[in-house]
Amino acid sequence: MQTKRSGGDFLFDLRPVLFANGLLLCVLAVAMGLPLLLDLARGGSEAAGFAASMGITLFLGAALTLSGRGRGNFGLGTRQAFLFSASGTALAALLAALPLILGSRHLSITDALFEAVSGITTTGATVLTGLDQAPEAILLWRALLQWLGGAGVIVAALVLLPMLRIGGMQIFRMETSDKVENSPRRLPRLVGKLLLLYGVLTLLLTLGLRTAGMTGLEAVCHAMASLSTGGFSTSDSSLAKFGNGARWLCVIGMLLGGMNLALFINPWRGIRWRIARDTQIRWYLLTALGFTAMLGFWYWAVAGQMLHHAVLQAGFQAVSILSTTGFRLSDDRGWGGFPQIAIFVMSFIGGCTGSAAGGIKIFRYEVLFAISRLHIARMLHPHGVFSVTFNRLRLPAAVLRSVLGFFMLYFLCFAALAIGLAVVGLDPLSSLSAAAAAIGNVGAGVGPVIGLAGGYHALPAAAKLLLALGMLIGRLELVPVLVLLLAGFWKD
Amino acid sequence: MILDLRPVLWGVGLLLSLFAAMMALPALLDWRLGDPDCAVFSAVTGLSLFCGQVLIFANLQQRTRHFTIRQGILLAVIGWTVLAIGASLPFAFGHLRLSPSDALFEAISGITATNGTILRHLDTLSPGILLWRALLQWMGGIGVLTLSAAVLPDLNVGGMDLFRTESARLDERLVKRVRRLLSGILIVYAGLTLLLGVLLWLAGMSPFDAVLHALSTISCGGFSSSDQSVGHWHNPGVDWVILLGMLLGGAPFFLHWQIVRRQWREVRQNSQVRWYLGLIVLSSCAIALWLVIEQDAKPLPALRHSLFAVASVMTGTGFATLDWSRWSGFPIALLFLLTFVGGCAGSTAGGLKVFRLQLLSATARLQLRRLLSPNKVLLPTFDGRVVPELIPESVLGYLFVYILSFAMLAMGLAFVGLDFPQALGAAAASLANLGPAITPAIGPLGSFATLPDSAKWLLAAAMLFGRLELFLVLTLFSRDFWQN
Repeated sequence: MQTKRSGGDFLFDLRPVLFANGLLLCVLAVAMGLPLLLDLARGGSEAAGFAASMGITLFLGAALTLSGRGRGNFGLGTRQAFLFSASGTALAALLAALPLILGSRHLSITDALFEAVSGITTTGATVLTGLDQAPEAILLWRALLQWLGGAGVIVAALVLLPMLRIGGMQIFRMETSDKVENSPRRLPRLVGKLLLLYGVLTLLLTLGLRTAGMTGLEAVCHAMASLSTGGFSTSDSSLAKFGNGARWLCVIGMLLGGMNLALFINPWRGIRWRIARDTQIRWYLLTALGFTAMLGFWYWAVAGQMLHHAVLQAGFQAVSILSTTGFRLSDDRGWGGFPQIAIFVMSFIGGCTGSAAGGIKIFRYEVLFAISRLHIARMLHPHGVFSVTFNRLRLPAAVLRSVLGFFMLYFLCFAALAIGLAVVGLDPLSSLSAAAAAIGNVGAGVGPVIGLAGGYHALPAAAKLLLALGMLIGRLELVPVLVLLLAGFWKD
Repeated sequence: MILDLRPVLWGVGLLLSLFAAMMALPALLDWRLGDPDCAVFSAVTGLSLFCGQVLIFANLQQRTRHFTIRQGILLAVIGWTVLAIGASLPFAFGHLRLSPSDALFEAISGITATNGTILRHLDTLSPGILLWRALLQWMGGIGVLTLSAAVLPDLNVGGMDLFRTESARLDERLVKRVRRLLSGILIVYAGLTLLLGVLLWLAGMSPFDAVLHALSTISCGGFSSSDQSVGHWHNPGVDWVILLGMLLGGAPFFLHWQIVRRQWREVRQNSQVRWYLGLIVLSSCAIALWLVIEQDAKPLPALRHSLFAVASVMTGTGFATLDWSRWSGFPIALLFLLTFVGGCAGSTAGGLKVFRLQLLSATARLQLRRLLSPNKVLLPTFDGRVVPELIPESVLGYLFVYILSFAMLAMGLAFVGLDFPQALGAAAASLANLGPAITPAIGPLGSFATLPDSAKWLLAAAMLFGRLELFLVLTLFSRDFWQN
């Protein structure tokens, strides 16, 4: 860790953080060019807004990059990485909201911020209504935000989180420690491959959705929103608008989006072998299957739907919530309690680590189950010595502690957010559901307000800001935000 | 099977005999009043006395009376279940003629000191049945205290290790110490019951009601003799006395024993009680504030009602001065979350317990600080003492299993037809041995009668599961338990 004292009273050097933030903003500015081009080509009314936002972002990005540029080697230390992951996400969300404010729709600052945060954290809760008639540039921008957010998370999971040892993520450094991948020289190549894979998968899904009957823009947007597990749609009725083919393709996209994509690269090392051996993916698929079976049985036996319809609806819902995407087929009015509870429970589970999915993540549940079994064994054999394994690796006690600490913090944040939402005036059901959906980056909840796609616009402004904060905290895996609040972070 | 069942059966026999002695009380009461239920109570008393004696004498040759860990677990689980079945007989065969699931639900709810009742029009019930319900909860309270003083610390259920008295070796002196502590705790329990009864009588209840409420308050049970719960009396004096009783019931009885013995230093050092009282006061002030602002309530009554509701929910009692499930928004969300917190370890309250919350927050803070300084040695502390690493781990394991059980229970309840708030509320309330949920239909003034039978079974199972600190039941499912 760098302890060089420079600039201000901080213990650590702020320049690498500024530099990295600047680069991030430059990428964002380039991304704004795409909807700008689309708007120019189609003759829409959003070009001015996007151009202005692009200018501002580029200027700010360049300024930060230049001011933070340093000589010699400079990497991010632990504290800088914490600061960067928190400030980067917040700053990107702030500037990503600009086109929505400056554009023809003139969203309020709160709404625009909520939408941008929801996009960049791949949550997919939207305050926009009338999406079917919305300008194409705006639709593309929302999808792009999610796609970029997803890419950011995948890269962060590979590079930043293991370094920060958040919630037991250090084991993934341990896991891939067959010396080659771990060396800093190979890391950029690994990231490059990962992004390439992400891009190729998006392209394939787009083509699939196009052949399934979507328009070009719809196909691109939905492919991006599925693979990034975001969940912004181009229609108010979400996927209910499209046919069964598109729905199943989206299910596949979401399922892939919730998996650890790093396992899919290096095919020459025997792709089948690695994926089949990975217990996390196995449990992820089993969980999805289990919830599909339960929901399907309920729709079929209790709600009296046709079998194939029940299976489609159940599978779609299970994958959509588990992967924390939040696409929906219909709003939940008139459903019984079971799908609602299932959705609520699933939003605490989430996908695999190393994916763009949110939630607590499957691997932590594996560890938690192992710890509970261990606890029982210890009760029966008080003097025994036991250990916990994950993917056939023995887990050090520090990993167990971080997983357990993460679990605890997750529920504390959830409880605090739910209480906060209730204070600003939501009913208890909505506040619980919205808090779970925001922290888990799911976006889709249950109840009369949160249950509808796009029901978020009816919430009070304070609730929107709280939810946006919840999404950010959830996306950053809680810890970077909470660490910043510690007095010890800024001092020694 | 290698496990020796004889001591377990002996223990069950002893429990049944004590149980029969308790049941003689409503039998006598009904006999005095000439109530027909007298026959049922006497018959069940005779039956359980007979079964108890048979079990004792059949297993008498095993006189060691030394329980291994597994036998202790088995005794707790079997004992509770058998007593619940026995306790349900008067409900099923008395003048109430409840269906088997209803009777069992009521009995389990009683003996786990929960407060989920399927009975309505409590004011019209015969005194025998009312006394029986209150006595059940009082017995449940004794069971919990025994469990937490004698069994749980040695098992280290979810970090209970923390309260193990001094040395880890289970030598003869320690067994004696535990026995002395336990008898002290039970004396305090009985004394407090008496005190509450007298206070309630002085505050204006009839002697019979005072006895009933004293029994169900100190055990954090919450069965009342009125459909309006404590609100029936419209008497602030009664409210305050019951509030005091609930607070005492939810605090560690070990502490009361220390107060009796005037060990003030230990009492002052007890941080668990500080947290417990602090949480109650803080939450109820917040709710009172909300009531004043949103519902234009007068500050003092608002504070009384909110204190009462918060204490009732946290200690898992379930009394109500008014139907707090009809409050909306913030109070409901807060009460729902407080359901999970529960009372102190070593009390008759349920839930996760305050000391676990303390350890969890200490662990969480520690975790964050460890991230910043990876090479510093940081140790968790409790009451100023360093805690072994294993304990926070067990506590977090306990939290995980608790939340998992809650989620599965809520899904199960929703599957059999409860709606979202009902399923969440009932699941949380039954696991924490509270009873009434945050929705009016099955709230503090409601009744579980309308629920489907399958939901009643699920809830009854959850009450037992929660009362036995989850892990006592879970160990039965581990293959290790049955093998050597």
